Amino acid sequence: MKRILIAGVGNILLGDDGIGPYVVRKLAANYVFEEGVELEDLGTPALDFIDHIAGLDALIVVDAVKNGEAPGTIVLYGKAELLRHSPTLRMDPHSPALIESLMAADLFGQSPENVILVGIAGESYSPTCALSPAVAAAVDAAIRRILQLLDSLDVGFFRRFEEADPSIWWAEVGAADLA
Amino acid sequence: MTKRITIDPITRIEGHLRVDVEVENNAVSDAWASCTMWRGIERILQGRDPREAWLFTQRFCGVCTTVHALASVRAVEDALKLEIPANAQYIRNLILINHGLHDHTVHFYHLSALDWVDVLEIPKADPAKTSALAESISPWTGNSRNQMKAAQDKVKGVAASGQLGIFTNGYWGHPQMRLDPNVNLLAFSHYLQALEYQRKANQVVGMLGGKTPHIQNLTVGGVSNAINLDSQATLGLERLESIRVLMDEVTSFVQQVYFVDACAIAAFYPDWLRIGGGVRNYMAVPDLPMDAAATTFDLPGGYILDGNLASVKPFQRAADQTFRDGVTEDVTHAYYEGRKPLHPWRGETVPQVTEWEGDKKYSWVKAPRFQGKPMQVGPLAQVLIGYAQGHPLTRKWTDKALDTVSAVSGRKATIHDIQSTMGRHLARAIRAAMLSELATRHWQFLMDNIARGDTAIHNNPLFPSGEIEGVGTHEAPRGTLSHWVVVDGGKIRNYQAVVPSTWNASPRDNAGTPGPYEASLLRNPIADPEKPLEVIRTIHSFDPCMACACHTFDSSGMPHATVRVL
Repeated sequence: MKRILIAGVGNILLGDDGIGPYVVRKLAANYVFEEGVELEDLGTPALDFIDHIAGLDALIVVDAVKNGEAPGTIVLYGKAELLRHSPTLRMDPHSPALIESLMAADLFGQSPENVILVGIAGESYSPTCALSPAVAAAVDAAIRRILQLLDSLDVGFFRRFEEADPSIWWAEVGAADLA
Repeated sequence: MTKRITIDPITRIEGHLRVDVEVENNAVSDAWASCTMWRGIERILQGRDPREAWLFTQRFCGVCTTVHALASVRAVEDALKLEIPANAQYIRNLILINHGLHDHTVHFYHLSALDWVDVLEIPKADPAKTSALAESISPWTGNSRNQMKAAQDKVKGVAASGQLGIFTNGYWGHPQMRLDPNVNLLAFSHYLQALEYQRKANQVVGMLGGKTPHIQNLTVGGVSNAINLDSQATLGLERLESIRVLMDEVTSFVQQVYFVDACAIAAFYPDWLRIGGGVRNYMAVPDLPMDAAATTFDLPGGYILDGNLASVKPFQRAADQTFRDGVTEDVTHAYYEGRKPLHPWRGETVPQVTEWEGDKKYSWVKAPRFQGKPMQVGPLAQVLIGYAQGHPLTRKWTDKALDTVSAVSGRKATIHDIQSTMGRHLARAIRAAMLSELATRHWQFLMDNIARGDTAIHNNPLFPSGEIEGVGTHEAPRGTLSHWVVVDGGKIRNYQAVVPSTWNASPRDNAGTPGPYEASLLRNPIADPEKPLEVIRTIHSFDPCMACACHTFDSSGMPHATVRVL
């Protein structure tokens, strides 16, 4: 059994930074995966990211990226590419945690061999729980890219007959019914 | 000649902090701490259901998730004057304790030890001597020659590969790195082992909270862990026993490794027990309530002014009236509109962006004040406040730490020495040792209470039609955290979080009084302005976490961490 984690990372309170958790929850609501595949909304992990990735066969991270591309554009980054960055990229706290965690896992001999970042170019990172329209429109494409990656890793999955509740609780504005 | 150093950002901390210092005659003569990022996410909470606020607040920061969740439910419960069942207190306490143990361990080994430990000196160590040294100061079973040798081989491998990986950008070979190669190896071997034990502590958080990093078991009014000793699906005997096993392992590591290492490193850098004191007003809120009504606490709170331990004033309650009335936030030097210091319930967060101007506005962090004064918060504050009140557990571990430091250094260390950069590390280790004892104690409280037949976990919140206000406090790993909520007709009208790093990273206030980071940097020696290791040591000793940052992967590949010397 292969151990694979699909991790949505990003801050759901900061606009398009929430795309990672959003995509992973939508994916889990629409597909069932073979044993060994975990899907997690990890928020904005720092060095404790190691605990989630140690000993995996493959890691797929879904996250917003700032790469100068048009909002909603999807770009994949491989492990070698990620590790080329300096570990002191502490200006954006979780990108260093992603890189530092990978480096630390390497040091401990527990780094997954396959690491792919599914990056979705964001537009706005202001405090809001909503995605900007171009980024929201990229969700289905991001899911297709992840499924292709799983295919290439020889991982089985099937589509649910009906979408389960993705529990994107933050998207509902000001809940109701207080007795 | 005055030199100006800008460090943007400080490395190995969770957040985005900028520090500017002026250096004269090889010492810091002035300092400014700024947060370079907008911290206005509390506004998202306006209009929402206060029962769900904690789900949002635990997303403020990826590291301090549980602490913001807890402070939030406590704030709403305070507004409702809602008591929670004893079981709920103990379950929450166990989560807090284990989160704290995880957090302190990671901070010491993975975020700050390498400020003191020179990794590239390790190949020169003698694993047999390192092992003998380790076994002379601790009964820990992970100190064998073979284990030291394996740790050394790891470093040799990294050094030989030419790819320093996670060790890129350390200040290796800096004149302030003064440990013997064997001590460097000892600390590094524990750096490797610490990873496993911080994970065990975090596992306990997950077993009680349902998941990490975002726990799911809180409710306004208690917790949602159904208790049934005979069931595996609920919080039963089997799970409680597994939790106990994990906690015992973590306790051994904390008491026999972390605590001992912190004392040893302090003993080998005795001058750093004299550097970096700064603001000597200290504050901590009482935490780990021992009963449903939260009338007694296992961690004492209060405040100390001007470093005078005899002046200590206790806080009797979690949100003591003195605390409620005493907190304001000043924005004179922060990028927000307004002149007058405001109480958090009336707090406003309207940005007013300018350039960085040291004598005007220069930070996104507001300046919180207690009775108009800057306060240092964190484990040091908590240890001093407990010690000054004669709290037995605080005395026990503090005296043990001071004795160990004295024995290893051959120089008598006193309680006043811990008001320093190294003292903050020591205080954090003291607090961790205290928490490790309290873990067992609160586990037993929970077991005993269940054994008495009490399985209550939740009291139902009822919201009145008018306006109510509450404050939820928590003595978090980084210090005093408070969430301030105003609820109107069952909906949130205003929400402000005054976080520990806001107290410590505070800019100057309207009187020009600097905050704790700024004050602590004064008179720090600077051996080499191009490599300001001393500044980083003092800042890291606070365990900064800016809790505000936007988290996005930047693929541009530009070197972000910059040190500019002008």
